[in-house]
Amino acid sequence: MHIAEGYLPPVHAAAWSVAAAPFVIHGVRALNREVKAHPESTLLLGASGAFTFVLSALKIPSVTGSCSHPTGTGLGAILFRPPIMTVLGTITLLFQALLLAHGGLTTLGANAFSMAIVGPWAGYGVYRLLRRSGVPLMVSVFFGAFVADLSTYCVTSVQLALAFPDPSSGFLGALAKFGGIFAVTQIPLAVSEGLLTVLVMRLLIQSSKGELTRLGVLLSGGRGAKDATGTEGTTAATGAAGEQDGTKEAVAR
Amino acid sequence: MLPIDAAAHSSRWRRRHPCEKAVLGLGLTLCAVSLPAWPGAPLVAAATLAVLLGPAGVAPRGLWRAFRIPLGFCVTGAVPLLFQVGGAGGFVSLAPDGPVHAGQLLLRTSAASLGVLLFAFTTPVSDVLPRLVRAGVPAPVVDVALVMYRIGFLLLDTVARVRQAQAARLGLAGRAATWRSLAGLAATSFVRAFDRAARLQSGLAGRGYDGTLRVLVPRAEISRPFLAATGALLAGLVALTLVLERFLS
Repeated sequence: MHIAEGYLPPVHAAAWSVAAAPFVIHGVRALNREVKAHPESTLLLGASGAFTFVLSALKIPSVTGSCSHPTGTGLGAILFRPPIMTVLGTITLLFQALLLAHGGLTTLGANAFSMAIVGPWAGYGVYRLLRRSGVPLMVSVFFGAFVADLSTYCVTSVQLALAFPDPSSGFLGALAKFGGIFAVTQIPLAVSEGLLTVLVMRLLIQSSKGELTRLGVLLSGGRGAKDATGTEGTTAATGAAGEQDGTKEAVAR
Repeated sequence: MLPIDAAAHSSRWRRRHPCEKAVLGLGLTLCAVSLPAWPGAPLVAAATLAVLLGPAGVAPRGLWRAFRIPLGFCVTGAVPLLFQVGGAGGFVSLAPDGPVHAGQLLLRTSAASLGVLLFAFTTPVSDVLPRLVRAGVPAPVVDVALVMYRIGFLLLDTVARVRQAQAARLGLAGRAATWRSLAGLAATSFVRAFDRAARLQSGLAGRGYDGTLRVLVPRAEISRPFLAATGALLAGLVALTLVLERFLS
């Protein structure tokens, strides 16, 4: 999924870096505001980033028989929101390039655009849309992670097709070629990541309610809390956590 | 610790200023990407290998282990260029210049990856991050990256141990068990990460934490002879590539 070092022509590498820059700057500003308001958040955000880094190192079984690793962008965006996830994802990509020889520095902008920007925003958008429509939490989490993973690969296919248009059919042919190659492994992997994210979220609701509440994923519904969309938070009916243990909780976002 | 970072901490060039190594490693990478793949990339790759195995003193075995990862990506990434979609040859056929383009891409990515590895094998991330503040990166971002770097290794150790324990309890014996174990592993990482952050926060609060993480950075002076040699090497590579390209064409 990571575009390797030197794979993109210099102009493309520079262009994708320029395209990613506004989102990264927006994320950095959000992070700055958060840290200024709550200095102790530095450690929490660092822990969140480390979790993202470790999550992307987990091997998940693929339908094709091989193994791959989750992007972690869907879960990250749901837990930490897309602007913060953009910064954490970019730092994670930098660490992967320097510590694991995975990805690259000249391709950091392109990889950040697909994995740290489009993936989190698309996944989070779908998650929010489904939650607003009253879709159950775990279904929303599944589709959020699924779309985040798949959109990452779609953007990577576009990036590769733009860099290497097909000699016969141009950009569209190259898009079909790269997209077709990715589809064989990535659609099953996106399903796998969605399932894994649901399992992880279920465990987190059981074991880390305090952290999820602090992150704003869960709110205490008994106090009439409002969710991030501005709608009145409901009680256990809206959250799987509440359904599981009988406590009054609402899913904030 | 990850092998590349462990090698960087014990590197012969550890005490050199990261700026010097960045100019050399990233300069070679930029040369690999910008110069014509033939003959530029082989020349850059040869020069980088000579520096890595010579003055930088990187162990060949460790270098190969790290290099084979990007090499695998380079090879699989070059394969699609061998084919074309549509045209007279059918829906999918061999591209006329496919082998040439794939070969050039393979050379370019291999040489560029070696340049980054030169920087990574000689410069620990912990030496680079604190200096980024001077380069204009906002301090909170650097602080978050520092915490990520330090907690990340501990989490990776935890993940390895938990996975070992899961395997010993037949947690990876079947597909369903593997999924359960993986979910448990990810959830455990989350819990451990936040637990460690909370304990770090308590410890730092007791020491007057004001939101800034101050760390000691080993002092190092930028060596002008090193930078001059780097400039000469890069200029020589550019000149040699352009001369050879004319000669070969």
